[in-house]
Amino acid sequence: MTSFKSNKEIRESALGFPARIRFENYVGAWTGAHFDRYFVNSVIIGVLTVAIVLTVGSLAAFAFARMRFAGNRVIFFIIFIGLTFPVTARIGPLLTLMYKLGLVDSRWALVFAYAAGSMPFSILMMRSFFRQFPEELEQAARIDGCSSLQFFLQVLLPLSTPALVTLGIFTFMGAWNEFMIALLLISKNALRTLPLGLMAFQSEYTTDFALSIAGINITAIPVILIYVLFQRSFIEGITAGALK
Amino acid sequence: MSVGTQERKSLAGLSAAFQSLGRRLNVVPYLFILPALVIYGLFNLGPVLGSMVLSFFKWELLSPTSEFVGLKHYSYILRDKLFWNALSHNIIFLSLAVIVPVGIGLFLAVFMAEIAKGRTVYRSLLFLPAIFSGVVIAYVWKWIYHPFSGILNQTLDVVGLDFLALSWLGNPRVALYSTFAAYAWASYGYSMVIFLAGLQGIDREIYDAAIVDGVNFLQKMFLITVPLLRDVFTFVITLRILTAMGVFSVIFILTGGGPYYATDVIGVYIYRMIGNYEMGWGSAAATINAIIIVTMSALFMRLREREHRREGTQKAEIVDLLSVIDRREYHHRISGSVDPGDVV
Repeated sequence: MTSFKSNKEIRESALGFPARIRFENYVGAWTGAHFDRYFVNSVIIGVLTVAIVLTVGSLAAFAFARMRFAGNRVIFFIIFIGLTFPVTARIGPLLTLMYKLGLVDSRWALVFAYAAGSMPFSILMMRSFFRQFPEELEQAARIDGCSSLQFFLQVLLPLSTPALVTLGIFTFMGAWNEFMIALLLISKNALRTLPLGLMAFQSEYTTDFALSIAGINITAIPVILIYVLFQRSFIEGITAGALK
Repeated sequence: MSVGTQERKSLAGLSAAFQSLGRRLNVVPYLFILPALVIYGLFNLGPVLGSMVLSFFKWELLSPTSEFVGLKHYSYILRDKLFWNALSHNIIFLSLAVIVPVGIGLFLAVFMAEIAKGRTVYRSLLFLPAIFSGVVIAYVWKWIYHPFSGILNQTLDVVGLDFLALSWLGNPRVALYSTFAAYAWASYGYSMVIFLAGLQGIDREIYDAAIVDGVNFLQKMFLITVPLLRDVFTFVITLRILTAMGVFSVIFILTGGGPYYATDVIGVYIYRMIGNYEMGWGSAAATINAIIIVTMSALFMRLREREHRREGTQKAEIVDLLSVIDRREYHHRISGSVDPGDVV
């Protein structure tokens, strides 16, 4: 609400209603402070991360859930412990690696870093989802001549849409909100994501309260919209991790 | 000869032949997990192990020459007052985190479980702060705490409590607790929805029986609900260990660790080193932090599991997504049919 006020109004009363609704602050933040660019970056990075996590993660989860192979449990455990690593534990070598791969100041750096970060959760979640389908389903598909991959693509995935949506939303929000990795891997203004842009913007306009709150809202509103649209999926994503 | 017969087969037949060969060699599962393993190994597990190795080397980001220095970084960090200062702040955060957001979340969940109508709406509204980036959370609170234009001091002024007005982030004695409030605001929602899902998994008949026995609200809470939610508690508290020990963006934006390191935490401490391309130092600190976090959560979970076994109860039942949804719907149906208003 404050974002619609002028600075004078804010100084005089932070809680009061604005005399009239002002959109100047939004226009100012959107074009003047490059929030349009940050927004596009965040969308691209979020979408690519989700695409990788959903395909790669569910493929692996399928193998862990429904196939027998040597090392299944051990490899799964190695992935599972990734849930407990703090970001700081990998940030140093990750930075060096990205420099060596020439990916610093590239959106791909963040996409891979985020996809790798959400791999343990996505595999854990999809594995337990895939496990619930009865053995007979797979046997029936086999009799109809399905290979493992065909069974996965044509039978299991369509049945798993709710879980995939949940995982997708969860991954997207994670990428959208992430800060520390982006802070260390991105320095070019043109490649900043929204949290980075917001920070740069805030330090530039420390005194312009109205404009800075408009900036906060531009970062927050898409998340609120996604949340309102998919809140069931979102909350199920959290409880799915919990009740396992 | 076998080649000749294969040629006559259709393309599908050929691929089926490969498939069966693959199955005999059992390579298919490995092919399925390979892409995930590559990404996870290269950008997650690899760098974590890399941190451990790097911590024994003098290593700056762009200078590839590395010199083995043994435990030098560790002995430096373990003697660094700032490290212990930061770690102690994480410990304070953690001790408050297992009480404040967890407690708020539990009470909200218990109250919400009692509400028949509009539970989803309340849940969604109360969960809202948890969906934002730490950066957004931090700027909202920075605005709340602003000494002059901030909502907190202005409110105190209006209510006539202006003597309580403080420089919330500038005063070294309160700054840590001010940042904790922002963290708690962002995290009680997680506890709440997880507790609520757990509560909905509890058989209502237990409560009905308890009500017949004349149990009051507090007894119900501490004698029935809390013990039945023990596995949920384990998860909620483990989540707090992970986030309180790894807290970064909220503090980085709100105070940057200041004033005078009064709000410095391990995350910010490591960031300063990595930001200065002191990879060796940073990696050593990161390794110590990771060991603390992994040990804490593993010990905690192990402890809970052992308690569990001693009590002779069944091992934690694996409840996953579908069954949660199923149960929720089951309960809607059950409570719907019990509700006298529903009987037409």
